[in-house]
Amino acid sequence: MLPPQLSALLLLALSPAVGAVFQDEVGHLDYHYELLGLPQRETTFFHRPRRDDKASLLYTLTDIGVLGAVNPGNGAVVWRQLLNDTSTTQSAGGLGLLRAGEGENWIASALGKSVHAWDAVSGRNKFWLDFPSEVKDLEIMELTEENRRKDVLVLFDDDKVPVLRRLSGNDGSVVWEFRDTTRDTALQVSTNVERVFVISLRGTPAAYNLKVTVIDTLTGRRMDELVIGTKTDVHSANHVMFVGANSAAPIVAWTDAALTTLRVNVLGTKTRQEFPLAPGTVAVEIHAPRLIQSDPHFLVHSRTATGNRADVYHVDLKTNAITKAYELPLLPGPGAFSTSSSGANVYFTRITGEELTLQASTSHGILGRWPIKAGESTPLHPVHAVAEVIKKAGSTDSYAVRAAAVTDADDWVLIRNGETAWSRPEGMTGAVAAAFAEIPESEDLARTLELEAHSNPLEAYMHRVRRHIRDLQHMPAWLNGIPSRLMSSILGTEIAAKDGQPARDSFGFHKLVILATARGRLYGLDIGNHGRVLWSKRVVDIPKGQKWDVKGMHVDESRGQVTVRGAAGEHVVVKTDTGDIISKTPPGSTPPVQGAALVDSLAGQWLLPIGLNGHIDDLPAHSAPKQVVVVRGGPDEGVELKGVAFPANGQSSSSALTTWTFSLPKGQRTVSIATRPTHDVVASIGRVLGDRRVKYKYLNPNTLVLAAADDAASTLTVYLLDAVSGQILSSTTHEGVDTGKPVECAMAENWFLCTFFGQYTLRENPTQSLRGYQVVVSDLYETEEPNDRGPLGDAANFSSVDPIRSPTGVALPSVVSQAYVLAAPISALQVTQTRQGISARQVLAYLPEAHGIVGIPRILLDPRRPVGRDPTAAEIEEGLIKYSPVIEMDPKFVITHERDVLGVKKIITAPSIVESTSLVFAYGIDVFGTRVAPSMLFDILGKGFNKVALIGTVLAIMAGVVALSPMVRKKQIDMRWKAPM
Amino acid sequence: MSELIIPRPLPNWVSELNKPPAVRTKNAGIVDPPGYPSSQVVSSGSKKRDAAKDTKAAQPRKAPTGEEMDKLKLKKAWEVALGPIKGLPMTAIMMYMSGNSLQIFSIMMVFMAFKNPIIGILATNQAFERFETETNRDKIFQVKAAYVLMQLVALGLGIWKVNSMGLFPTTRSDWLAWELQREPLEFAVPAL
Repeated sequence: MLPPQLSALLLLALSPAVGAVFQDEVGHLDYHYELLGLPQRETTFFHRPRRDDKASLLYTLTDIGVLGAVNPGNGAVVWRQLLNDTSTTQSAGGLGLLRAGEGENWIASALGKSVHAWDAVSGRNKFWLDFPSEVKDLEIMELTEENRRKDVLVLFDDDKVPVLRRLSGNDGSVVWEFRDTTRDTALQVSTNVERVFVISLRGTPAAYNLKVTVIDTLTGRRMDELVIGTKTDVHSANHVMFVGANSAAPIVAWTDAALTTLRVNVLGTKTRQEFPLAPGTVAVEIHAPRLIQSDPHFLVHSRTATGNRADVYHVDLKTNAITKAYELPLLPGPGAFSTSSSGANVYFTRITGEELTLQASTSHGILGRWPIKAGESTPLHPVHAVAEVIKKAGSTDSYAVRAAAVTDADDWVLIRNGETAWSRPEGMTGAVAAAFAEIPESEDLARTLELEAHSNPLEAYMHRVRRHIRDLQHMPAWLNGIPSRLMSSILGTEIAAKDGQPARDSFGFHKLVILATARGRLYGLDIGNHGRVLWSKRVVDIPKGQKWDVKGMHVDESRGQVTVRGAAGEHVVVKTDTGDIISKTPPGSTPPVQGAALVDSLAGQWLLPIGLNGHIDDLPAHSAPKQVVVVRGGPDEGVELKGVAFPANGQSSSSALTTWTFSLPKGQRTVSIATRPTHDVVASIGRVLGDRRVKYKYLNPNTLVLAAADDAASTLTVYLLDAVSGQILSSTTHEGVDTGKPVECAMAENWFLCTFFGQYTLRENPTQSLRGYQVVVSDLYETEEPNDRGPLGDAANFSSVDPIRSPTGVALPSVVSQAYVLAAPISALQVTQTRQGISARQVLAYLPEAHGIVGIPRILLDPRRPVGRDPTAAEIEEGLIKYSPVIEMDPKFVITHERDVLGVKKIITAPSIVESTSLVFAYGIDVFGTRVAPSMLFDILGKGFNKVALIGTVLAIMAGVVALSPMVRKKQIDMRWKAPM
Repeated sequence: MSELIIPRPLPNWVSELNKPPAVRTKNAGIVDPPGYPSSQVVSSGSKKRDAAKDTKAAQPRKAPTGEEMDKLKLKKAWEVALGPIKGLPMTAIMMYMSGNSLQIFSIMMVFMAFKNPIIGILATNQAFERFETETNRDKIFQVKAAYVLMQLVALGLGIWKVNSMGLFPTTRSDWLAWELQREPLEFAVPAL
């Protein structure tokens, strides 16, 4: 027995060889897009967070529920908060609300059923209130009885009854509450200096009338109620376009269905004024200032199919009459308008693809005009924008304008006086699928290599020699490049890719990532160049409020193409390096699919679409899959799996044959399915024990793990299935599992793990229980005994459908399991992949609460760790450490180190050419990528290797030799010449 | 290329080159002739002097008989034969102390532990050449057999060391790399 000190030392020595990320590697091997999502028109504005400071920040609440502040100077994120936990699910209608009080150091936001206030500078939470009913509108009440306090007005729809609450801006306490007596649809709230207006819809959906309830600001009592007839123009809440803000004369506006007439009512009056819209108008937007001291002017922006124009209207404060002041001419192409106000002045900024113009609301004279110098080759197509106008001191009519515009390329661009200051690729948020792709080699080379492979050896050899002779013409360029390569190798700088095109490197770190987003766009990222966006393309038109459901993504490396299949039957093929669309079918042209499988057929690999309920049509014989396809099936999706085969029948078409069906017991539903990754190379088929015996791994590529939850019994059952025969190889039931919380599984090599939230009753002491996020790891071995390959022995092949008859019938694996309690919940499980599987594995997972990605070494998750005792010498030699029930999230394991990575939905990994390193890419809201080396970098020199010292030493020795050699020679000659004495 | 060649006296270095000074021999086996100045220097080595003393001392003794000679030779031969085992305890302790890890010290020790016995066995006849006479051939054969046995014991020690270092492929794990993964006959793809 070892003394305790020694074993402790041994333990230290065996501690997993995972180093933290070195400081000089930050930004070198990893890259991160800190994203917010696509800003929405109503919830984006410039705001000065400090009253006495002129600097303003750009605040936005985006379509995926991220609230953030951006420095308008450089586009850097100042702070972000994720309001919506279920990101990428765009809740239709309730897209969140964001308001700021002029001169206040806080901003108020609302999403779903909660209202929050945030410190505008730091992003710290001031208050967060959850209400039982949905928030419909949020306004800041500018003037309150208490000096310098601004309050928040929140309108709720409490079961079809409008409820207005005034919340104190200090702590969120309710000052007063107004509950309407009738059942109306709450729409919006607006306020002018002395009154609050609640606008709701009264009547039936066929003929809604607008009801305006006037409420006293001090007490919250109803003062008046007005009903405005809408002549059956308004059928739903969406039809009321605008309810005007905190201007001195707030308005409500709507149009008829054909968009020919605009009807406007000044709140507090009964009159309705009508204005004709230009013919051919397809969309109307109204822009008005929000400040109470601003002039009551507003702008009506009408888009036509080809261009856009605007009309400016003034409201007379005394008579409440609306008059048209001037109009802005129709300009072709997309354009956006924005309102900004300073004091009483109201400015309208117009952004088109060509120029930025500034006008005051009072006259049609143009105050400033800046042609847009787009930084990139693509022209700017603004969709909506916010602008900030600063009147330069000293001169009378010299202005500076900066406008943050959302373009139809889903970028967020800031234009400062016509120049693009920064551009944020916000469209990459809401990513739903991604795949690694090799950088395509030139097609000529691929074709030549193919040619050589098919001709006879002698010809191929001659061809090859000729090709190499031809290649000599690149020799001078290569020789010229040697000094720069040497210098960059010594200094550790990256060589800039030639003409900006990505090129492969010798380590295999330079690859492409194809990213598909819920908004129907594809992005091509060059991960060898810090994730630079190479191209982005809208491939599918997704209606607002919906998201693209990508079912399958397959990269064909030999052709350099990627195929993406969506749920509605659409499919698109693009080139990986340029994004050029090769072929495309719009949604609905083929039946909807529930999934897609990458199958091998006589005609090669292709992505087979699976119809609903696991239905697969008859296929031509040459494209019939050779494998068994496992699909979710049955009338009730989620409770049944089936295996579908396409037996060869000698005919031209092959039809699907269900070979097995696996139905879950009643009450259970599938919560997670994990399979082994497609690239899952196993270096050693057994595990060497400390006494040099071998425990053989159960390596069956056709296994899948299915986790099924039973909500009534609060249990989680994990099945291990053979995917060819449908045989249950093993099953485990965990009790006390919270089935409402996410359950995730991952599988690799001969082990799998599932994580869930559960309450575990201690076996030793049944009165005690343990509650928390757990992970259960299971290893699969051929048999329990070492040095035994199981009933199949040394057989070179095995078949799942033709099992051995003795002794057990089916070769079942021996399962060793162990449960650990996690210090933090984890999601998006993934296992690192390396080229030959020699390196240790890491389980990569997202920490949703810490906003980071952790790489848990597999050695910590080993189920064979000795429990309740110190490991024996043999176990130490095997690399086992004593079991400890809690897996701490050591900061050294966090591969995102100090970065705040928000909303990761999925992590993908890919091997590189060097065995030590696995490429990691995480997407969701943010995009993050890095490289991990689970067994340390054993095959390449790290950045810490001092090449200068090495070369310096060699040079110094050479200099020494050169300097000393004449001296030595002279001495030798002198010795010869010395007379013998 | 002038016709007239003036014979010059050869420079000093040419004559010295042609007649180099006598090389000082480093080979100690050749005894310098008496009176040679260097002999005193060379014989200053104590060994040489001892040897000279021995020869001087042995001269007056009378020559042993052939039987005595055989006995003496046999005794000497036994000493040679048992030589390998005398160092074994020391070697064993050193081997034990050096540990079972692969380092330069233990590798060299293992190498020597194999090299010495094998060379010894191969050179058995040379080792006993000088003790072997016509008369004691049988007895010398026994001695040789004992010598080989002793060398084998030393070799055994080396084998024990190699085994304890885990260098013998005697366990299942040593052949694991040659065992092949069992390939399935059918494959499945998930579409989930």
